[in-house]
Amino acid sequence: MSESTRLTAWRLGIIFGALLLVETAVRGGWISTFFLAAPTRAVIVLWQQLLHGNALSLTGITLFEIAACLVISTIFGVLAGFILWRYKLIGTSYEMPLAALFSSPIILAYPIFLVTFGRTSAAVIALSSIFGLIPIIMNTKGAFQNVNPILLQVGASMNLSRQQMFRHILIPAVAPTIFSGFRLALTYILKSVLGLEYVAQVGGVGMWLSDASYKFEIEEVYAGLFGTISLSILFLYLINRCELWFRK
Amino acid sequence: MAHAQPNPSALAAAIHTPFGVQALTLLGLIAIWEFIGRSGLLFPELFPSIVEILQSLWIYVTTPVMLPHLKASLYEVGGAIAVAALSGIPLGILWGSKRSWLEIVEPLILYAAVVPKIVIFPVFILFLGIDVQSKLAVGAIAAFFPISLLTIAGMREVKKVYVDVARTIGASPVQIAKNVYLPAIAGQVFTGIRIGLGAAVTGALLAETKIAKAGLGFMIVEYYGQFRIADMYSLLLFIFILASLANWAMKSLFGVLSPVSRKSGDAGMYF
Repeated sequence: MSESTRLTAWRLGIIFGALLLVETAVRGGWISTFFLAAPTRAVIVLWQQLLHGNALSLTGITLFEIAACLVISTIFGVLAGFILWRYKLIGTSYEMPLAALFSSPIILAYPIFLVTFGRTSAAVIALSSIFGLIPIIMNTKGAFQNVNPILLQVGASMNLSRQQMFRHILIPAVAPTIFSGFRLALTYILKSVLGLEYVAQVGGVGMWLSDASYKFEIEEVYAGLFGTISLSILFLYLINRCELWFRK
Repeated sequence: MAHAQPNPSALAAAIHTPFGVQALTLLGLIAIWEFIGRSGLLFPELFPSIVEILQSLWIYVTTPVMLPHLKASLYEVGGAIAVAALSGIPLGILWGSKRSWLEIVEPLILYAAVVPKIVIFPVFILFLGIDVQSKLAVGAIAAFFPISLLTIAGMREVKKVYVDVARTIGASPVQIAKNVYLPAIAGQVFTGIRIGLGAAVTGALLAETKIAKAGLGFMIVEYYGQFRIADMYSLLLFIFILASLANWAMKSLFGVLSPVSRKSGDAGMYF
């Protein structure tokens, strides 16, 4: 058995062991079904919702919101990051306020977005885009700042024009760092979208979870939670795979 | 008597500094805000006068109107940080002390860290009710990940040779933990607690906006429901200022306790 197979087996063992423990506790009557649903029941409810309910369309809404945030963050983030790098004074001036804004609990300002955009996906997209925007700005600025000067000297010695220098040297040099920002942004966007959907009760999967908890549909709550967690994990897994592929 | 004339070149030089640009940006934003609010160009209710917002903020600071809510939120955030530190640091040390354990556990923690913690709130409501305990639990689970992950990062930085030397001179496991591990990981643990504080504030207050009886998050939603927009803005400002002050205080305190600066990497993504 290879090392990675052994580690995966251990991890799966821990996860399924914990689920088995919960299943036994619920089925054995040690924990009331008023508080906890058996994992198998939650999975069955999730499956039923995917086949016959609206879980699939809600997942579609969530994925659309994430994609919209990502497009907005990438377009504006790369542009702003480039400007912050190109104009040093602006870059130095805004770096600290941006970092401070990012570490502040801006998600609490979601009622402002609800007032502005109404109780719609637009409010979720507008606020979550901010979470994606800042890491992309910072990484883009950092990427341009840290281009190896030897690469630029090589370009200059080959008499490359500004456009050629940008296309053949700068872009390939900055792409990996910008992609790291993109990965970070996607993680923040995912968390913000799902969190806001749940709190503001708008949009997709998060809203489903919120509805279920208001109705005290315990099995549905756990099915929604299971779906949300699975979606988050799947996303991170795909991002990691993409990054590995991108760096090859 | 000659009046002092402003020197245009000195003024231009002052503007051409990061502070000058920041001040100018702030003034510009205030001017735009006031213009939009007074002209009625765009939802005038959404842009109350800055003076009105500051007056409201002054009331929060000088009168006990916010005290019960502040107390509830401080209890939740304080409790969350205590629970997260008391569980995250020992577990981080335990997981980080053995490579084989870390290889198994670390990816699981990293994947769990990405899940938005607020979605676990319905489960906490079921188990703990809608009082402060359920918000404390959300804050604690949000703070747990940065604290445990940075403790693990600290453990990884401890050089094996230090532990070997301590063992050679006959140090007991407790002495090794106290004299080798703790000083070596202190910087990372402090960074974890500081980041965890931000996570706990966000987690607990966001949960308050969902279902609560008291707290600053609860008040934000109350003002939103009553359409008291200026009060809502000033409360948000109040929370941001409090969070920044707490962050600054922790940074200063930990700077004194552990003067060696350490990188925190992208730990922020885990809360």
